[in-house]
Amino acid sequence: MNAVLTLIAKDLRIEARNRQTLGLVMVLGILIITVLGLGLGTQNNVNGFSATAVLWVAYLFSGVLCFEKTMAVERNDAVLSALLMAPIDRGVIYLAKLLGNLVLILAVAAVVTPAGVLFFGFDLSAAPITFAGVMALSILGFAAIGTLFAAMVSSSRLQGGLLAMMIFPITLPLVLVSTQLMMRTFRDGLPVSAASVGVLVAFDLIFLTVSWLVFEWVLEP
Amino acid sequence: MCRQCKQTLAWLITTMLFFAIAIALVAGYVPTEATMGPIQKIFYLHLPVAIATFVACLICFAASVGYALQRDMKWDRLASAAARVSVVFCSVVLLTGMIWGKSAWGQWWTWSPRLTFSLVLWLLYVVYVMVRASVESPQRRAIIAAVYGIIAFLDVPLVYLSVRLMPDIHPASVELAGSMKLTLIAWFGPVFMLMFGLIALRFRIDQRAAELEKVESEPITAPGQMTWAGGAGSAL
Repeated sequence: MNAVLTLIAKDLRIEARNRQTLGLVMVLGILIITVLGLGLGTQNNVNGFSATAVLWVAYLFSGVLCFEKTMAVERNDAVLSALLMAPIDRGVIYLAKLLGNLVLILAVAAVVTPAGVLFFGFDLSAAPITFAGVMALSILGFAAIGTLFAAMVSSSRLQGGLLAMMIFPITLPLVLVSTQLMMRTFRDGLPVSAASVGVLVAFDLIFLTVSWLVFEWVLEP
Repeated sequence: MCRQCKQTLAWLITTMLFFAIAIALVAGYVPTEATMGPIQKIFYLHLPVAIATFVACLICFAASVGYALQRDMKWDRLASAAARVSVVFCSVVLLTGMIWGKSAWGQWWTWSPRLTFSLVLWLLYVVYVMVRASVESPQRRAIIAAVYGIIAFLDVPLVYLSVRLMPDIHPASVELAGSMKLTLIAWFGPVFMLMFGLIALRFRIDQRAAELEKVESEPITAPGQMTWAGGAGSAL
């Protein structure tokens, strides 16, 4: 636990000092929302609830950039080799990276979501807690997969585009479930069904466990 | 002709023969469906290929787990072969499904659960093939592909559960007359033979390529002839 905290503190301290990732990712998120808003919003063919889809596009792209950046920090000056030599379980490194990514992506979501809600006239007042809960569960699953694949891609010095290509198809169930849930809640006024939240929880549990188990295979200095 | 070539040829001819029988059954034996007309006959290809796709994905998953546990390149080659075949088969499922959809529902594509499911499955395995192509080191490629192969397959039931939240127009179960059942069973044979055969063929080709690479990387020395390094080693 101590090791996890030390590692997160290290990542966040680096981020606090150079403020590269967060600023970049937030601006990217807002840009994506603006582009989609200009493309769709001006023609008034976007209903309030399709804001979820718009938000997802912003989360996905800025998330991928987040994951890439947090692993790239370890690439500099061969820090990863030092990290791998430390007497800690590799699973601990995964947990620390995951939590660091979550902090970043939630910070991005905290800026991008209000922007999306504002631009698209999405009325959250009906069920703000449902919205936050569903999005938090989805983002957790997204970060679980993203952290693993970012380590994999970064360890193999692959091109950046590949990370997005690997993460997007895997996270499609999250996008699907959360957009369907939002439509039910905000358009039809139906209560959230346990089965659909179950899919989100199952996704999170399966991929957190699997990523934690296989993380040590993919790391390579 | 070598033994493997004979086997391949025998497999090819048998598969073709079974396909001929299956096509003959569709063309001459099975009655045309009342509401949909002749286009319904595409179903005899569609369903077996869809199930063969799943089997190929399952093989890819099993081989990925095998590689992760044993680190034997054979597993990696098997996983790669199965993934390629599942992409091809899944493309056939999507195309035949779209032809069906155009005549049954009047649209090439609708975001109905099973169509979405097939599309996501196709995307998952196309990415698998793409990822393999972009990693150079064979060992890294194998482990990355194995991890992706495991995660992609675990994603499949989640995709299935999530698409069920969407409104559906795809037939869930189909009532079939006796002759239709027989024709359907007749189609399973050649489709599965083709699937297993293509995987085996791809696997053998990759196996041969790896052997060739190994031979080429070894220094050429005639038996009994001493290389300088060998001579120095034995003298010490």
